[in-house]
Amino acid sequence: MENKNKNSRRKFLDKGLKLGLVTAIGGIGLSKLSCKPETESDTDTGEKMELMTTDGTIIQVDASEVMDVDHHTKEDHDNHDVREGIPNRKFVMVVDLAKCKNALACQSACNKHHYVTGDNAWIKVYKMQEAQDTAPYWMPVTCQHCDQPACVTVCPVDATFKRKDGLVLIDNTRCIGCRFCMAACPYSIRVFNWSEPDQGEITLNMDMDMNDPAHAAHEVHASPEHAGVPSVKGTVDKCDFCPHAIQNNELPHCVSACPNGVFYFGDKYEDTVTNGEETLRLSKLLEDKAGYRFMDELGTKPSVYYLPPTDRLVDFEDGLENYNEFQSVEKPE
Amino acid sequence: MSKDQIKLRFIFPALLGVLFFFMGSANLFAQKAKKNKARINVEYVKLMNGKIFFNIKASSRVNKETIALSDIDLTVYNVLDDEDNELGTARTNAKGESSFSLNSINAIKADSTDTYHILVAFAGNDAFKKAKKSIEFKDANIEAKIITKDSVNYVTAVLTDAKTNEPIADQSLKVQVQRLFKPLRIGKEFNSTDEAGAISVAVEEGIPGLDGNLTLEVVLNESDDYGTIKSMVTGNIGVAFVDESTYDQRTMWSPRGKTPYFLLFLTYSGIFVAWGFIVYLFINLFKLSKS
Amino acid sequence: MKTKEQHIQSLIPKKFNKIEIIWMSFLLLIIFAGFLAYVDQLINGLEVTNLNDYSLWGIYISNFVFFVATSFVGSATVAILRLTKNEWRTPLVRIAEIISLAAIAMAGITIVIDLGRPDRMLNTFIYARFQSPITWDVIIIPTYLVVSFLLLYFPLLPDLAIMKKYYEKSSPKLSKWYGKLSLNWTGNEAQKALLQKSVTIVAILILPLGLILQTIDAWLFSTTYRIGWKSTNFGPYFISGAFVAGIGALVVSIYFVRKMKNLEDYITDFHFDKLGKLMALACMIYLYFNVNEYLIPAYASTLNEETHLNTLFTGHYSTIFWFVTIGGLIIPIFLLMFKKGRKPLPMLLIGLLVVVASWWKRYIIVTPTLLHPYLPIQGVPESWREYFPSLHEWLITASNLATALLIFTLLIRYLPVVPIQRTIDEEALLTTDKKIES
Repeated sequence: MENKNKNSRRKFLDKGLKLGLVTAIGGIGLSKLSCKPETESDTDTGEKMELMTTDGTIIQVDASEVMDVDHHTKEDHDNHDVREGIPNRKFVMVVDLAKCKNALACQSACNKHHYVTGDNAWIKVYKMQEAQDTAPYWMPVTCQHCDQPACVTVCPVDATFKRKDGLVLIDNTRCIGCRFCMAACPYSIRVFNWSEPDQGEITLNMDMDMNDPAHAAHEVHASPEHAGVPSVKGTVDKCDFCPHAIQNNELPHCVSACPNGVFYFGDKYEDTVTNGEETLRLSKLLEDKAGYRFMDELGTKPSVYYLPPTDRLVDFEDGLENYNEFQSVEKPE
Repeated sequence: MSKDQIKLRFIFPALLGVLFFFMGSANLFAQKAKKNKARINVEYVKLMNGKIFFNIKASSRVNKETIALSDIDLTVYNVLDDEDNELGTARTNAKGESSFSLNSINAIKADSTDTYHILVAFAGNDAFKKAKKSIEFKDANIEAKIITKDSVNYVTAVLTDAKTNEPIADQSLKVQVQRLFKPLRIGKEFNSTDEAGAISVAVEEGIPGLDGNLTLEVVLNESDDYGTIKSMVTGNIGVAFVDESTYDQRTMWSPRGKTPYFLLFLTYSGIFVAWGFIVYLFINLFKLSKS
Repeated sequence: MKTKEQHIQSLIPKKFNKIEIIWMSFLLLIIFAGFLAYVDQLINGLEVTNLNDYSLWGIYISNFVFFVATSFVGSATVAILRLTKNEWRTPLVRIAEIISLAAIAMAGITIVIDLGRPDRMLNTFIYARFQSPITWDVIIIPTYLVVSFLLLYFPLLPDLAIMKKYYEKSSPKLSKWYGKLSLNWTGNEAQKALLQKSVTIVAILILPLGLILQTIDAWLFSTTYRIGWKSTNFGPYFISGAFVAGIGALVVSIYFVRKMKNLEDYITDFHFDKLGKLMALACMIYLYFNVNEYLIPAYASTLNEETHLNTLFTGHYSTIFWFVTIGGLIIPIFLLMFKKGRKPLPMLLIGLLVVVASWWKRYIIVTPTLLHPYLPIQGVPESWREYFPSLHEWLITASNLATALLIFTLLIRYLPVVPIQRTIDEEALLTTDKKIES
């Protein structure tokens, strides 16, 4: 009897150990399965690309992760001449100074969508004060797209030009970098690419499109209608009033980004401007709120109207915390 | 074999089986725990010229932020008598939006109460759970006209139920002029239809339009029963605008092809005179070397 | 009274002596350094300068304006003195013509250095917009360059023939070159008549071209809205400034050339005296325009003008401003009133002062205006509120000057600095009726 018991015990232990081993292995296998990283792609090429994220920082991404995204809808081609412009339009902007509190969402959106990487933004919100006794206010200034543009008059090679739809654009394949236009502009809105612009690989997308016949119909190539894509060393850049957005029936990026509804944009011929929320008659808006043009006495005939900061909706001081006197373009760390 | 041995022999594979079962289900469990909830929003829009749209928005709340679900496939069904009849598929764009259109409302069928049921389904993918959204609506029509009374232009519109042709009262319509980015409102924000389902809104004078033409829209916006209905009517009741641009003129800021005449004259005559003399002088040099 | 052969012996160009060789090596060294700096600029872009979106033009443009101004000396001495029948100009004209040519050539090179895309500079011809002042510059500079060359070349023909003959035995190769360039000049009646007519035309042509050149240069600034630039005064202001800069450069050059080549018999104290009076006149005219440019606006100035004047009179740029005004104009005028001030050595010092002040004057014209634009300077790095040229800019500036001096030195090495044939002829005037006048 004792022998039989011994044998059973041994066998039990034997089986028990086997079971324990299996359990242990199974447990390990189980834990490994539950930790399996699902995002790891088998097709990692190991090649890194520099891209700009949605908040303007530059990151390194594996090349296989990058997909070409089509920016344009089907209805975007008016087939107009780039130098003549969209027919039957005259674009104007209205800036309501009573609402601006230096949130700088306009600046971030513009910098991001035009890949501005220099030290000078294309839209700047100035801390303005006419005299010591008058009240300070925040004033966003873009290119005024003047009807009598000093910059266009002095350009020796026709690189910057005035369109029929009111926009003043730059052809950075023709610009010789003489900077006479910058000297002529009284609003100081033009910026120069003093060095090779550090824009990451936005150009890679353009090259991909050029080589792919399926994409041939879509225009993701360099055009004066999407300034900054790409920027060219030794040439001038500036606000373009976003014709690439207008073509998609979208408002310019600064207009749609502003959380306070400061910017109104529209077609003067339609006498209508909108900030995304309110849509108003331009003539009525200018009459009701005493609109004016900045430095109108110079005779440049700007296309941007300002509404003076009366009945302010925000305090000037609220904007001070965002104010950076020495920086207008956020740099990646 | 003894009873004990048989028991053990049986228990061991059974325990293994249980182990594997848990492993397997734990696998599924592991995947389920990682996916986020997808949200689908569907809006029904009917244009009175025939087309109907389902404007779909797919999004998800991830880490307390709402992100758009771009490039996902959705299937649109017309639900009738508990049967899902597939109408087609749609793919969201970079903003997570998609517009699924049908040529007319006749492409879908209503149930016995004249209500249409639409289902938009997302099958789910590695990152997001499957989701669906169903909407229901009845068909209604807006008939809009432009009339002139006492030299004032009015937009009149009548809202009727498509099936019964009965007017629909107390619905709020808006009247707006089509503009480039967003339409411009005419009249009051809310124009309630009367017992005859009608509204009449005066169009102010002096609204500019191309060659004086204006396209006006009468819109029933996101009503619970009828969705969004838009009726467009065009009339020459606006003011023709005048082209202000100097593009075709010869100005100092025109391109090189449109230089002002006086400038062309001055520069060319200056060049001609100076270089005329220079050429003459070079000829003299040549003559000197010969003589 | 020297004989013809004695004249030739004195005036014929000679080989470089030791000092001149050291001078040439020094120039070539500077030019090489500047060349390296420019290559770096081509590779890395204009960020190697201290330019930014506010001070968008710097000393490259100052250099350009300076060279354009200096090139006026050809028009001034040759044409103006000719019209006013100042016969004493004869020994000076060749040097003036050489300075003119070197300066205008350098002006063309200097402006290309400032471009952000020099590889596209032909666009200024292919896509030229006549509405732009830069296009007018692109037209006038080559025109003036060619006429400056002709102004030098025509009167040079008889001297080239003399040199051909002189070197026939000692340097036959050189002699052959001189022969080719002299276009078979034999001095016969037909050639003399043709030469006379041509020289008359060139001398008359260069004056309006010179005036137009200076005016267009001024219009690069006065066609903008900028305070300090938007002035109706700029055209004549720049013309008179060019007069000053040109004469100053001439005086300095003449002093050294006279010493190096022992030309005391030809360029005498009398010439310095005359030049001194001419320089005083130029400075007085320029001072008059300065008063109109700076003093009168102070009387009733807008807020913007006030800012500009304050920065010059008492602000950041006051040291340089008063240096160029007092040191560059008032002191020279004062000193040149005295006969002692018009002697060669004082003239050299005054001339150097005038030239240096001329260069800093152009700096004062370009930079302060750019640093007080209509809108406040915000949203850009703090260093952008000031401008001082970088090492690259200084190296390139120095090499530009060195190149101009190199051209000058080479030309006076191989060409007679005082017109030989004319000198002979003018002396012959005393004995015969015929002469070649230019």
